[in-house]
Amino acid sequence: MGGASATPGPRSSVSAAIAVHAICGLGLPLSNWISRNFYAVNLVSDPVPTIRFALAVEASLAILCYSFLRRDRNQCAAIGRGVVGLVAGALVMASGAIILGAPVGMKYWAKTAYWSLLMSSFTVVPAASVFGSSWEDWKRLFADTKPSGIVDYMVCIPAHAAVIGAWIGAWPMPLDWERPWQEWPICVTYGATAGYLIGLVVSAGFILFCGRREQHVKRE
Amino acid sequence: MPYLLSCAKLSAWIAGAVLLQMIGLSLFVIGFFPVKPALSGVSGPESYRAPKCDSAEDREELPRIPPDQLRSSYREMSGISPFYDRLILVVIDGLPAEFVLGKNNESPTISMVEAMPYTQALLSNGKATGFHAKAAPPTVTMPRLKAMVSGAIGGFLDVAFNFDTQAFLDDNLLGQFYRIGWKMVMLGDETWIKLFPGLFMRQDGVSSFFVKDTIQVDYNVSRHLEAELQSDDWNLLILHYLGLDHVGHIGGRNSILMLPKLKEMDDVVMRIHQSISSPHDIHHRRTLLVIASDHGMTESGNHGGSSYEETDSLALFIGLESKLPEYAPATCKTVSQVDLAPTLALLLGVPISKNNAGILIAEIFDFLSDSELLRALELNSWQLLRLLQAQLPGLLCSNRDYRHLEYERGLGSNACKVSSIEDKFGCLFSKATALHDFWRSQEGQESDEFKGTLVAYYDFLTNASEWLSWRATDKPLEFLVPGIIALLVSCCMFLSILFRLCKEASLRRKHQHLDSVNPEMEWHLDDTFIIVLILILVISMGSSSMVEEEQYIWHFMTSTLYFIFLRKSIQLLLTAEAKKLCNGNKGSQYSKYYQFCSIFVVLVCGRILRGWHQGGVNWVHLLDISTWLEKVGHHFIQSIKISSMLFVVSFGIFGHCRSKSKGNFVLLIRGSFLASGLLLLYIMKYQDHTLTSSGPSSTLITQIVFLTLGVTVIVGALAFPWIVPLSNDASSAEQLSMIHCSIHQHISHPFLGLRCSSYSVGWLCMTCWCLLQLLLQRPTNAMPMSLLLLQILASMLYFSLHGHHKEWVEVSALYFLGLAGHFGLGNSNSIATIDVAGAFTGISSHSTFLSGILMFIITYASPLLCFLSMTMYASVKDGDALLSGQDVNLGVLLQAMIAFPCVVPVSLNSILLTMCTIILLLMRNHLFIWSVFSPKYLYACAATVCVYIGVSTVAATGIYLCSVYFFRTRKKISSNQHTATKNPN
Repeated sequence: MGGASATPGPRSSVSAAIAVHAICGLGLPLSNWISRNFYAVNLVSDPVPTIRFALAVEASLAILCYSFLRRDRNQCAAIGRGVVGLVAGALVMASGAIILGAPVGMKYWAKTAYWSLLMSSFTVVPAASVFGSSWEDWKRLFADTKPSGIVDYMVCIPAHAAVIGAWIGAWPMPLDWERPWQEWPICVTYGATAGYLIGLVVSAGFILFCGRREQHVKRE
Repeated sequence: MPYLLSCAKLSAWIAGAVLLQMIGLSLFVIGFFPVKPALSGVSGPESYRAPKCDSAEDREELPRIPPDQLRSSYREMSGISPFYDRLILVVIDGLPAEFVLGKNNESPTISMVEAMPYTQALLSNGKATGFHAKAAPPTVTMPRLKAMVSGAIGGFLDVAFNFDTQAFLDDNLLGQFYRIGWKMVMLGDETWIKLFPGLFMRQDGVSSFFVKDTIQVDYNVSRHLEAELQSDDWNLLILHYLGLDHVGHIGGRNSILMLPKLKEMDDVVMRIHQSISSPHDIHHRRTLLVIASDHGMTESGNHGGSSYEETDSLALFIGLESKLPEYAPATCKTVSQVDLAPTLALLLGVPISKNNAGILIAEIFDFLSDSELLRALELNSWQLLRLLQAQLPGLLCSNRDYRHLEYERGLGSNACKVSSIEDKFGCLFSKATALHDFWRSQEGQESDEFKGTLVAYYDFLTNASEWLSWRATDKPLEFLVPGIIALLVSCCMFLSILFRLCKEASLRRKHQHLDSVNPEMEWHLDDTFIIVLILILVISMGSSSMVEEEQYIWHFMTSTLYFIFLRKSIQLLLTAEAKKLCNGNKGSQYSKYYQFCSIFVVLVCGRILRGWHQGGVNWVHLLDISTWLEKVGHHFIQSIKISSMLFVVSFGIFGHCRSKSKGNFVLLIRGSFLASGLLLLYIMKYQDHTLTSSGPSSTLITQIVFLTLGVTVIVGALAFPWIVPLSNDASSAEQLSMIHCSIHQHISHPFLGLRCSSYSVGWLCMTCWCLLQLLLQRPTNAMPMSLLLLQILASMLYFSLHGHHKEWVEVSALYFLGLAGHFGLGNSNSIATIDVAGAFTGISSHSTFLSGILMFIITYASPLLCFLSMTMYASVKDGDALLSGQDVNLGVLLQAMIAFPCVVPVSLNSILLTMCTIILLLMRNHLFIWSVFSPKYLYACAATVCVYIGVSTVAATGIYLCSVYFFRTRKKISSNQHTATKNPN
């Protein structure tokens, strides 16, 4: 791939990558545990507060963690990019979800908004924090899906996994099981979260595998 | 490079596969949905006479006999006495016989016995006789009621085409009672009232709609009980209690509500029994009380299938004058539910219904004398024999004499080991009658002879009944297996043709781009996704809820496919930006943005279409745009309809605006568009005033619109290929206004003339079809129709600009768009969503054929629109890549133009149809086989017909266009040569 884009910075060593994944991965169960035990809400009964809390935890973790992996020197700029990416990505996610059939209406807009912000923090925020407005990198990761190097894996695999998970999570919605979790964003959120966590694990595996190989190459 | 698959060979293969598919489909349909020949008419006095070889003599017209006279003549002729004067039929919906009679000869559980003390007391002291009455699937109320009163075993089509309860017209008990002047009272489930409208003197129907209600529904029946039992003006009282079924649906067999409900039913039995057996009855009427259930229920309280729990229904006779009152039967016989019909008919003195397949329950007739019992069996045999004659015309007609068998009596049915089924029944019947005659001549002295006759009659009756019910429900494997094999083979043939076509196209492209690296021909995400999509569709067909909500699947999958296209166009968008820096190809760069926008238009229109109709079953209560429009008011619908009509007409008119040559003809076409548009406007105005289009002038105008559109399409399609300029004409390139971006590079394209003509014809057909649909469809569907047109045009634009998809992917995308639109127009997999009202637009006299065609046109509007667009698709695709050589003949031309648009839809449909067939076969015992899977299969069959029609239209248009083009080119070349040879001279 392009020379400039794939050079792993000093901070993107294998251990740092694993640490970032672990922090992002643990953020979700942690936020779930806190909202369940301290605020007595859960996703099925009160989707909006639960997603809002998970979003607050996850978005801040993602912006902070991934801004350490940034390309340029400026930490504040990376955080700012992450925030802008969060909002812009949420717009993209919301329009995508609505086109694919998410319900439209006054009583759904809060759910859709928080869900798409959460999705955005899974997918767009890491890329925005790391790459900023480098279209070459965005295209390589999201249009061509050709990641190379540790940072690319870290951004690309969990994001794709989250989108695919959300897509699969939408399947039970039309069924007649009459379960409360079949409502819009609940099962899609479950799917996206599960996909994201799986993506983190897969990405960690890739990083361990590739990182070891790179170290081999360096040693030789 | 020559084609591997010649055109003739290809078409022969396709024709063979289509033929095989048709054969397989018809074999399967015949095998799976057997049509049971039902006798029309009703049984009359002829049922008390022995049937003859030709059944014509039975059809004599009856003189109108007054009911009282008919009743006494029936009594006289039947030769059986005594009769009951009154019948009380208590139907307890969904009561399993196990609750009352126990299972496997064991008594019911203690709690059940305690819940129904009175009934159990009646059973144990012999005042009541109970039977396990085995119900035939489908175990849902209406078919079971029909079986109980007519004794007939219904086929599938009976259920499928009676999706709304309609009057029951076959011969049945209630009709017979009505004919002998009985007065009937009906309390309970309103299904009875729908089945037998006008038969009841008094009625109080309750709806089974409120499944959560278990109290009120039964109270509404019982509240009349006291008054009805006091009054003596009725002969038949039907009580149909729904509460127990509702209890089952809510909580299953072991619901806490079950025992109180059983107690309530026991109280009803007690009240009725005490009332009818009280000595205060001054009229000395004899009343028979029958407690029956229409079906059982599973552990979870559902029903509809064919498990033992569901088919185990109850038949309990109370008030019989049994010979052996002290004998309490330890075992309860299992009879068939249809046996109720002949038993009740004989007990109450009416002829047995014509289509009855049941046999009388002998235990009930214990009180009769020997001769009367044999007479009853004889009557039942005669009726079954008449029914057998309808299915086996040769029965009783062969000259074979079975009399010699008389001497082998006592051997049972072994004596009738004959080859053909006719001979077997003839033999059994003759044996029984011979024995009966012999017994009569002995004046009924010998009880051995009596037993022999009894056994012989039962031999015949059980054999005949079993054979009849086997005929009605049997799914003969000799039809099903070859049918499925033929479908599978034809599916494989289609797929192999498609595979070879794809391979050939990729070879050809490689041949073209030998020098340059060609990244397009690798296996891509869009190819993979289409295969995943088909897999998901096939899997989802196995789930009843997914079949009910199929519209979601189609929208979701089609949108996802277009999202994948979007991703691909973004890939190229960015590449183009990179390339632009090198060579600055500006036109190409703009076209990338067009691509992006056209996909976006497809997606947004698709979302609006999905929101337009909330189809399916489970979420119908959710608000959708069409119901909202209907609520908001007529004016909104009207203005939306007019604006979408203006949109279609203007598209039709301006589709040709750039063509400067042959102005007159194009003007004519435009004029006819405008005329039909104006007429449509007039019709809308008319509809606005009267809300119906039934008036004669409206019908006339509608017919004029039909005629104008038809003539426009036919004349246009025939004339266009002759008048478009052939090729190398710069002005003709302008005609392809939609696709001018790609034309720039191929201005000297050799087949431009052909492309122009197919573009124009496709355009013409699509706009005319949309105008026709605007006329036929419901007013709320006007907007979806124009959205569909917009979607198709946008994807056409995208495909013409983006040459990077494989052809089969693009054709499949169009086909999927059509199917998603099918659901967007409000169709579903239930027969109830077919728009019946629109099918009578513009038809002055009632004609099933014409309205059937219109119904098909309305229902399959969207897939057929997509097929019409395939003609246009052939023009937007730059087929020049495939046609580089100069040695072009007609076959090669045809193959390049219409091979993919024909093969891909047929193959896709073939996969879906074959899988649907296999799933239907696997699901034949499923609870929802009749309500969900069978209607889905009917839709799949209709979709197959739609694909045949669409593909043959595409093929016919393609062949015509190509041959005209070929002819004209030949002529031009020869005239050029002519002038060339002339000039030197």
